[in-house]
Amino acid sequence: MEKMAYIAFGFYTILCLGGALWAVTIPSLVRAFTGLVISLFGVAGLYFLLAAPFIGLMQILIYVGAVAVLIFFAIVITGASREARNRSQTSKKKRVLAVLAGFVPASFLAMTVIKYSIVTTNNASPVAVADLGRALLGPYGLAFELISVVLFAAMAGAILLGFKRRQ
Amino acid sequence: MIPTIPAELLRLLIFTVAILAFVSLNALILVWLERKLAGHFQVRPGPFEVGPHGLLQTLCDGLKLMGKQLVAPAAADKRLFWLAPILAFAPVFLCFLPIPFGPTLLGMEFEIGVVLILAFTGLSVLATILAGWGSNNKFSLLGASRAVSQAVAYEVPLLITVLGIVMYSGSLNFSEIVAMQGSWPWQWNIMLQPLGFFIFFICSLAECNRAPFDLPEAESELTAGFHTEYSSMGFGLFFFAEYTNMVIVSSVGTALFLGGWHGPFVDGWWWFAAKVYFLIFVMMWMRWTFPRVRFDQLLNLSWKWLIPLALINIFYVAVLVKI
Repeated sequence: MEKMAYIAFGFYTILCLGGALWAVTIPSLVRAFTGLVISLFGVAGLYFLLAAPFIGLMQILIYVGAVAVLIFFAIVITGASREARNRSQTSKKKRVLAVLAGFVPASFLAMTVIKYSIVTTNNASPVAVADLGRALLGPYGLAFELISVVLFAAMAGAILLGFKRRQ
Repeated sequence: MIPTIPAELLRLLIFTVAILAFVSLNALILVWLERKLAGHFQVRPGPFEVGPHGLLQTLCDGLKLMGKQLVAPAAADKRLFWLAPILAFAPVFLCFLPIPFGPTLLGMEFEIGVVLILAFTGLSVLATILAGWGSNNKFSLLGASRAVSQAVAYEVPLLITVLGIVMYSGSLNFSEIVAMQGSWPWQWNIMLQPLGFFIFFICSLAECNRAPFDLPEAESELTAGFHTEYSSMGFGLFFFAEYTNMVIVSSVGTALFLGGWHGPFVDGWWWFAAKVYFLIFVMMWMRWTFPRVRFDQLLNLSWKWLIPLALINIFYVAVLVKI
């Protein structure tokens, strides 16, 4: 059983990283967007592996089902060209800096995880959805409400921007 | 998520194969049924030549479809182009997993089955997008963007009405929701939330791209919309997915509102099947009797009528739950 979990973990990791790499390297916009979707799927799979199916499904419902569609709309409506033709050749210095910017936080996180490894139990028990709901509306009520305020602000801002451009 | 016993895995495998058989057979029957019904509703012949009452018609259609050449437009994005029909069809199997066809006849007891179905039916939108974009064709792209705006518009009231049922029964598990309803029609959720069922049914029609909401296809003005460029089984898979989606939304409607496998006298999967096929019959009935709506009418119907009505419904459910 454990072996299967490792195989699944490897598969999802490849999905995550491969999708992400595809998304940032490919010139075609919609292909990059597909790469992003694949990567998000990998993340959902990891949630499943962590015995959090609710979060995993939410990941699919929200990110793959809704956000991806939104991105597509943005691509179509803004009339972006099929290929990102106006990509300027990035200089070597910029590339090095970009790699560093990704690498430094990653290595910092990795060091922290290795040094202060989290005590794990062999079998994580899934949290019941009812408990999750109670936690969100009880002790984490404020955070929950704040998130909705942020979302509302984002929506209002989008509408405002949309109307401004039309005039 | 990983099953702890291989027996469970084996059961899932058998279930998947059974679903595959069911889906194929179902598509054959539904296509035949639709054409027969169209014939009767509009007083025209319909299939009659192949086999008794044209029963073998769809089998021949299927063979014809498979015999055709797979063609992709030269300037199309080939990978995305072929990914789309597969993506339209693949999630279908997952959606059947948590649906309880009978007291014991279900793929997997899943605590959050409702969320699973909502999450995976959303993938068909993605497939439509990729098909429309990958075809490198203006009609396809227009069809795809129409499909997306339609799906986004109708997903909102659909989710809100489903939420009404979830609030009332306090569970996201299909088996529990079904178990809470009684055998007789007045004990079903539809009696408590008729408005909810009404909205759910309209939205599920729209989500399946069924007439009168089949605008993404729109043969007359968009020359078949997002699947214009698909030949052979590329088109076949989209077609398959449409008919299977009809079964899924009808099953969900049956489980949530119509008491699932409960029925007068003897409970069992036969009641479930009867209700599902009755809902599908109503869908076909609507297809051949209602005129297609205009696109602005379609969006207005969702944003100005169905969403406010769904909100009223959920308010009513909240009051109902508290009493």
